[in-house]
Amino acid sequence: MSGARTARLAVALAAGAAALVAASALSAALGAQPISLRSALGGVEPDATILFSLRLPRVALAAIVGCALATAGAALQALLRNPLAEPFILGVSGGAALGGSIVLVAAVALARLGGAGGAPAGAAPSVAAGAVAGAAISTFVVFGLGRIGGRLVPEAALLVGIVFNSFVAGVITLMKLLVPAEQAGRLTYWLVGAVGNESGGTLALGAAVVGLAVAALVALSARVNLLTLADEEAASLGVDVPRTRATVFFAASAATGAAVALGGMVGFVGLIVPHVARRLVGPDHRLLLPASALFGAAFLVLADAAARLAFLPLGTEPPVGAVTAFIGGPFFLWLLRRTEAREGASR
Amino acid sequence: MWNVGPLAACVAIATAAGTAAAPARAADELRPPGKGAARGGFLWVGERPAAAPRRVVVLAPSLTDVVLAMGLRDRLAGVTRLDDAPEVAGLPRVGGFLDPNPEAVLGLSPDLVLWVTDGGALAAVRRIAELSRASRRPFPVLAIEIDTLADVLATPRIVGDALHEGERGEALARKLRDDVEGVRRRTAGLPRRRVLFVVGREPLVVAGPGSFPEELLAICGAESVVRGERPWPVYPLEKAVADDPDVVVDAAVQEPADGIRRLAAIPAVRRGDVVRLRNDDLIRPGPRMIRGLEELFRALHPEAAR
Repeated sequence: MSGARTARLAVALAAGAAALVAASALSAALGAQPISLRSALGGVEPDATILFSLRLPRVALAAIVGCALATAGAALQALLRNPLAEPFILGVSGGAALGGSIVLVAAVALARLGGAGGAPAGAAPSVAAGAVAGAAISTFVVFGLGRIGGRLVPEAALLVGIVFNSFVAGVITLMKLLVPAEQAGRLTYWLVGAVGNESGGTLALGAAVVGLAVAALVALSARVNLLTLADEEAASLGVDVPRTRATVFFAASAATGAAVALGGMVGFVGLIVPHVARRLVGPDHRLLLPASALFGAAFLVLADAAARLAFLPLGTEPPVGAVTAFIGGPFFLWLLRRTEAREGASR
Repeated sequence: MWNVGPLAACVAIATAAGTAAAPARAADELRPPGKGAARGGFLWVGERPAAAPRRVVVLAPSLTDVVLAMGLRDRLAGVTRLDDAPEVAGLPRVGGFLDPNPEAVLGLSPDLVLWVTDGGALAAVRRIAELSRASRRPFPVLAIEIDTLADVLATPRIVGDALHEGERGEALARKLRDDVEGVRRRTAGLPRRRVLFVVGREPLVVAGPGSFPEELLAICGAESVVRGERPWPVYPLEKAVADDPDVVVDAAVQEPADGIRRLAAIPAVRRGDVVRLRNDDLIRPGPRMIRGLEELFRALHPEAAR
């Protein structure tokens, strides 16, 4: 490893970690209920409960989800060789949501039949497994159908992803009719992308899956660099292209699946964060992937704090997915115009 | 080329305005009264029936309950798919509370349609009223606005008059009012308990100011801890923790009871001071709500309930 890059990696990681710490501190300090950090740390109730049982777990949850989505986004952009790729837009989040919903609905059906399998099937691990499977299958479908004449066409893959999302939305709407109204309401809220209050066990499980997937992507980052070249070139440089691609696919899907299981369909994080990170550390994935992971965590922690705080005067709280979509939708369009303008200029 | 767009838009708007002019009259006629039934907030669309209606279609389960409580099950021709009273199990369904199906209503050839005004169903009910006017046997729609407990208590009289059963309506109204006053009297001298009324846990949705539970809690010698302006806010859990209610009422009846553990950060939940409701009577603004009131009182004041 060259000294210059090591130094840049250290700077990138330090900046990312600093952003995450600052965002976490802000999010932990602010909320609907004014608390004193001093009394919370001193164990005074209710401040201590609010800080340790509610805000900090929620910060952790947002950080895990943001880290997963941003890293998956950066990896998918490399695979598709297009900056517009993103788990949400590509339909990977949609596939995860569908997988998770199928498990949830099946659990309700099992519980209705009086089977003892209903409760465990509706628990976090099996929903997460369904989400990861759904994400993997949809990645496979989107990238498979995005091939025209044997070549991956980014625009085609994006279009397939968008159509796949609409398809998923329709199927989930139909599935909602199969579950009790209250469950359906919960499903809706989950699907909009809400970082709520999860139990410690669920958090640990999510952190483990996301940690493994992100670690795998970071470990593969040198090869991911080569994947952004044409397949023939990458192969000539000694990369087993199909195998590397499959591994990256699966790791990105697992990260997305876990993120969706924890926080629902939070969109555009994988678009905004890698783009900003690329501005800061450049296109080298050995820097970009770890930086995206940290900045993604910081970004979603901040976005969740914004969601919690912005609507306080109205006495209610929107899901964080609404905030990221509010920022991300226009950002996507801006990025699309810019990409087009560049391609037009290079033609 | 560029000026065609605005022109086409103008034509489109003009056309739309032309077609919209006719239903606009019906819309005015059906505009919700804007005040509760207790203050005269009900309106007739179409002629009031000259003879006692025999084929009544009810578009709200709480009104079905009113008709049933008056002992007039035989007058009903159709109810919503949300109606779960055993007496109406065999009746045809005409859609939901928010999405009544005009076709199904017309298909039952009713002689009266009862409706609780609600924005969600306004378009469909307007359509029903139009179709009624255009048909050979027009039927009236009675729209009743029910926002408060006083409206709930006033509704039996209005429905009784509509069904030409004024005495039964009067009797039911009196009975419901006596039940409410009975509960209110028994709370005298009891401690006021501070309550968080939970209707959804994920996200946490609670009853706030202006909701029925807030009013019902006050009658039961309790008070809601929720402040603000929204009747059903998505409530930050940390506020619930800081509010530190004496009791949490778990009205998320569709969800498994043990799901309340998700809210264990609230001290009352940790202590086990949770009243789990057995059904959603308390948010059914009709006779069931009054029945639920008695149960709520017993649950909140076990020391006084005999």
